[in-house]
Amino acid sequence: MIRGIYAVVVLDLKRAWLDRARLLTGLAQPLLYLFVLGAGLGGSSRMGGPAYQRSIFPGVMGLTLLFTAVFMAISIVFDRQIGFFKAVLVAPLPRAAIAFGKITSGAIQAFIQGLILLPFAPLVGIHLGLTSTAAMLAAMAFAAMTFSAIGVAVASRFTSTTVFPIVSNTIILPMYFLSGALYPLGMAPRVMQIAAHFDPVAYAVDLMRGALLGNFFFPPWLSLAVLIAVNSLLTWLAVRVFKRGEDDSVLGANGFRWRR
Amino acid sequence: MPPAAVSIDPTIPAVELRGLVKNYGQVEALKGIDLTVKPGEIFGLLGPNGAGKTTLFSILATLRTPTAGVARVLGHDVTVERDAVRRAMGIVFQEPAIEQRLTGRDNLLLMGLFYCLPAARARQRAAELLDHLGLAEAADRPARTLSGGQRRKLELARALVTDPSILFLDEATLGLDVDARRVFWNEVRAIAAAGRTVFFTTHYMEEAEIADRIALIDAGRIVALDTPRALKARIGGGVIRLQTEDDGQARTWLTERGFAPTDAKPGLMLVHADPAAALPDILRHLPVKVLRAEVHQPSLEDVFLGLTGKGLEGEGGATPPRPPGGRRP
Repeated sequence: MIRGIYAVVVLDLKRAWLDRARLLTGLAQPLLYLFVLGAGLGGSSRMGGPAYQRSIFPGVMGLTLLFTAVFMAISIVFDRQIGFFKAVLVAPLPRAAIAFGKITSGAIQAFIQGLILLPFAPLVGIHLGLTSTAAMLAAMAFAAMTFSAIGVAVASRFTSTTVFPIVSNTIILPMYFLSGALYPLGMAPRVMQIAAHFDPVAYAVDLMRGALLGNFFFPPWLSLAVLIAVNSLLTWLAVRVFKRGEDDSVLGANGFRWRR
Repeated sequence: MPPAAVSIDPTIPAVELRGLVKNYGQVEALKGIDLTVKPGEIFGLLGPNGAGKTTLFSILATLRTPTAGVARVLGHDVTVERDAVRRAMGIVFQEPAIEQRLTGRDNLLLMGLFYCLPAARARQRAAELLDHLGLAEAADRPARTLSGGQRRKLELARALVTDPSILFLDEATLGLDVDARRVFWNEVRAIAAAGRTVFFTTHYMEEAEIADRIALIDAGRIVALDTPRALKARIGGGVIRLQTEDDGQARTWLTERGFAPTDAKPGLMLVHADPAAALPDILRHLPVKVLRAEVHQPSLEDVFLGLTGKGLEGEGGATPPRPPGGRRP
C-alpha cells in the first residue's frame, strides 16, 4: 500500500518537475487577487485597504491551494484520454493506493505552490511568527489534502478534458466564493453563513485564517473534523471509481456520471 | 535475448476463457467466448473493428469485468485474483504508456517502482533491456525524441521490466512502417522463444502469420480457431504452379498420385489443401526436372471473408472503436 502510494507520487512529481515553470506562473493569479483586487476592493470597503488585504491573504492562499490541486487532478482525465492511465491501472497496486497517491501528489504540488506564496504575507502586514507559521503550515496541509481529494474525486468521474473545466468551474468556483475567502463570513448575509456550513472550502480557509490572524468563524476542532471526514469520503469515492477500471470509459467521449 | 527462459507450468493454460460474455447495456460485445491458449504459445486475435477484440483484451488485462463466464490468466481468475494476474503479465497497449517527456530509462525505472521491484534489480533489468533492444544510446533522451519504432520498442521494454511470463500486445505496431514492424515482431518472436506466452491482437495480416494459432473473432464470437496455415487451407486450399522440362509427363505422374493438375500456360496448376506441405514431396519425387515452382496461398483476409462475408480491415480506421456508449451495466 505504502509502496503503491509512493510509486504514484514519484511518477506524478517527476512529471510535475518537468513543468516547474508553472510554479512561477501559478503565482500570478494569487498576487493579482491580493494586490490588485485586494487593494481595489479593500479601498471601498468599511475595513479599508490594508486591513482587507490582510484578511483575505488566507483566502488567497486557499485560492492557490484549491486551483493548483484541482488543476493537478485534471492530469487524471488527460492520462485517461490518451490511454496512459491504463498502464497505472494494470499495475498490481491496491486501487486505494492509486487514489491516495493521486490525492497526495496533488496536495504536495498545491502545498509547494502555497509555500511560494506564504513569504508575501508580511507585505500585507501579517507577521509570520513561529507558532502562527507552524499552525498555518499544518492548516495548509489539511486544506491541500482536502482540495486535492475534491479534485481527484471529480476528475475520476470524467473521460474528457474538454468538459472537466466546465463542471469543475460550476463546482469549484461556487465553493470558493461561498467559503468567505474574499470577505469575512461573520459579516456576510445570514443565508450565506448557513450555506458556508456545507462548504468544505469554508472550513479550510477559516482554519488558515485562524492560524494566521487568530480569528475563527468555525471552532477549529469542527473544521478539522469536517476536513478529515470530507477527505475520507472523497477518497473512498475515488477508490470506487478506480476499482471499476476501464469499464468507466463505457461512458464514451464526453461522459460524466455522478452515480458511479 | 532479453531474459533467461521463463519457468512455466505446462499443465496450466496461459489463457483460459469459458463462456465469456460482456454486455454494455443492451449491446452484447462478447457473446460467449471459449478459448484455451497454451503456455509458450504465440496467439493472435484477429477481427475487424468492433468485433470485440478490445473488450476481450481489456478483460484479460483486468481493466473490465466480464458480465458472465470465466477468464483465467495462468490459472488466476481475472476478476477474483486481479493482482496475481497483474503481476504475471506485461502489456503493450496501442496507446503510449510511456511518459514522453521522461527518458526511456526513467520510464522503465518507474515501471519497476509500480511493480515493487527492488531498485537495484529494476536498474539492472532496464539496462539489460535497453541494451538488448538497441535502445542503449537513446535511453537517456526524452522518449518523445525517439523514432516511432524506438518508442514502440520502449513500450515493449516497459512491459518486460517485470519479467512477465505472459505478454499481451494490443495492436502494438499500429502506425509503424513495415521495417519497424518487422524489427518489432522479431523481438516478440525472441521473447516467445524464451518460453513466454504472447497474446496479441492486430489488424495487419502479415503480422498474424507469426502466430502459432489464430482466433478469428467477429461480432463477439470466435468464428475460427487454428494455425494460420490450417485456416488458410480451409477455404479449399492453395495453389501450386509448376514449370517442368516435360509438363506432359509431370501431369501423368501427378494424376497417378491423386492430384488434379490442370494446364496453366505456361506449366501446370494444382489446387491442394496444404500446398506448402505438399510441394516438397512433389519436388522430391517428381521424375522430371522442375524449372520453376510457386505456391499461392489464400490470405487470412480471404479466410475471414469466406467465413463472415466481410473484410478484416474494412473501415481502415486506425483507432479501434470505443465500446458503444450505452448505459453502464
